[in-house]
Amino acid sequence: MNEAMGEAPFLPGDGIAIGDDGRPRLTGSECADCGARVYPAVAVCHACMSENLRPLALSPVGTLYSWSVVHVAPKGWTTPYIAAYVDLPEGVRVFTHVVGTYAACLAIDMKMRLCTAVLGTGEDGKPMASYAFTPD
Amino acid sequence: MREVSVVGVGMVPFGKYRDKTLADIAWPAVKHAIQDAGVQKKDIEVAYCGTALGGMMSGQRILKSVGITGLPIVNVENACSSSSSAFRQAWIGVASGIYDVALVIGVEKLTKFGGGTLPLEKEDFEVTHGLVMPALYGMRAQRYMHDFGLAPDTLAKVAVKARAHGALNEDAQFRKPVTVEEVMAARAVAEPFTLLHCCPSGDGAAAAVICPTEMAARFTSKAPIRVLASEVNSGRYMTGFRDMTTPEITVRGAHEAYEIAGVGPEDLDVLEVHDAFTIAEILYYEALGLCARGDAARLIEDGDTSLGGRIPVNPSGGLLAKGHPIGATGVAQIVEVVRQLRGECRNRQVEGAKVALTHCTGGGISGFDHGACSIHIFAR
Repeated sequence: MNEAMGEAPFLPGDGIAIGDDGRPRLTGSECADCGARVYPAVAVCHACMSENLRPLALSPVGTLYSWSVVHVAPKGWTTPYIAAYVDLPEGVRVFTHVVGTYAACLAIDMKMRLCTAVLGTGEDGKPMASYAFTPD
Repeated sequence: MREVSVVGVGMVPFGKYRDKTLADIAWPAVKHAIQDAGVQKKDIEVAYCGTALGGMMSGQRILKSVGITGLPIVNVENACSSSSSAFRQAWIGVASGIYDVALVIGVEKLTKFGGGTLPLEKEDFEVTHGLVMPALYGMRAQRYMHDFGLAPDTLAKVAVKARAHGALNEDAQFRKPVTVEEVMAARAVAEPFTLLHCCPSGDGAAAAVICPTEMAARFTSKAPIRVLASEVNSGRYMTGFRDMTTPEITVRGAHEAYEIAGVGPEDLDVLEVHDAFTIAEILYYEALGLCARGDAARLIEDGDTSLGGRIPVNPSGGLLAKGHPIGATGVAQIVEVVRQLRGECRNRQVEGAKVALTHCTGGGISGFDHGACSIHIFAR
């Protein structure tokens, strides 16, 4: 658990691990038979149906494909928030929140770095934490 | 396969019917379509009901209220493409010769969710991480504006056109015209969209009766509206770098539909397309071949797709003004083009319309451009 996050649990299925350097990493899947890569991790390869999948450590730095500042969202999310797609060098596109900046500071294709953040409050009243990206 | 025609259509004005049940919203549309077709209840051999969130046995709940029971009733869910997909199932049944007369219903009651963004599937990874439909389209818009230089006020003009058309349609949820300034000054939903860039939430129902073209004259003296192509696709799942400025499922579906129908975009007189958000209409002009990639802004700026223009799109007001009770939309689009091809649309009539296209997508899951898309081409 990232100290900055307190005790906030990450959303299920995130595949977040905190490295020895204290920085988060995302893990997806790579098919050992055909090489297809996905995030989040899966049990079966969508390309060849192989179940022979291995963990794929994803680069923490990617490029911003697009974003939108969300003002209207289901209960729980702290609005406004910036929803985005970030493209990683492994060929995987990740849906994410962008934090630690203002929308006016964003530009398509800018470099983004993985981080963690509290994004809202769950139905149980506890903070919802997950990965996020911030300008590098 | 036999040629199939639409012989009857009906719908209720889209709006908010909080105090009505799904069945009470829908039966007037069904009754109207049956009367419009001139068929008797006993003539109907099968019914397909498209709804995304209507709940179990929606078709049975609706049809028992007008006493159409004991026949096969099949409920179809395909998100916003639910009733356009239901229409295709009915078309298959009639074209193949299994049935002669089929009823299609599209219905939805979104007010039961209390407003806000459309509730999406909670098992989906991106949905659990905060993806909402306005954000997905918002990201398409941002990228398109970056790649092709689309101006914010041109995007706003899509909403202005929709509202101007909706003002002429008594079945539309919004009947008040708006200005570019009003669109741009409305409250933010998901940038670059304000509220007026987004289709409203609401309730509604639409229905259609189809039969073999050769049988139409038995029931009605109105011109049968022939189905030239009936097409449904699912999106292609991709984990990599999708180009969000071109909707692959619509491009692929349009290609197939034009080939089946033996017509091209240049032959169309009027279209109803899935303008859930302003950017969608821009993307679909290109995907449906009304113009080249990157040229869609010109169609809006030149008024080509407005009523009175070269190729009117969404004369009903589209999803943006007519409304988008999601499962009802596919058949409601068909209601509009049938009325256009019959020449029944009075002050919003596209003069001399002979060939029309409807286009309805359904989305909201990770890894797809859209989960579903249905395109139909009709001619009188």
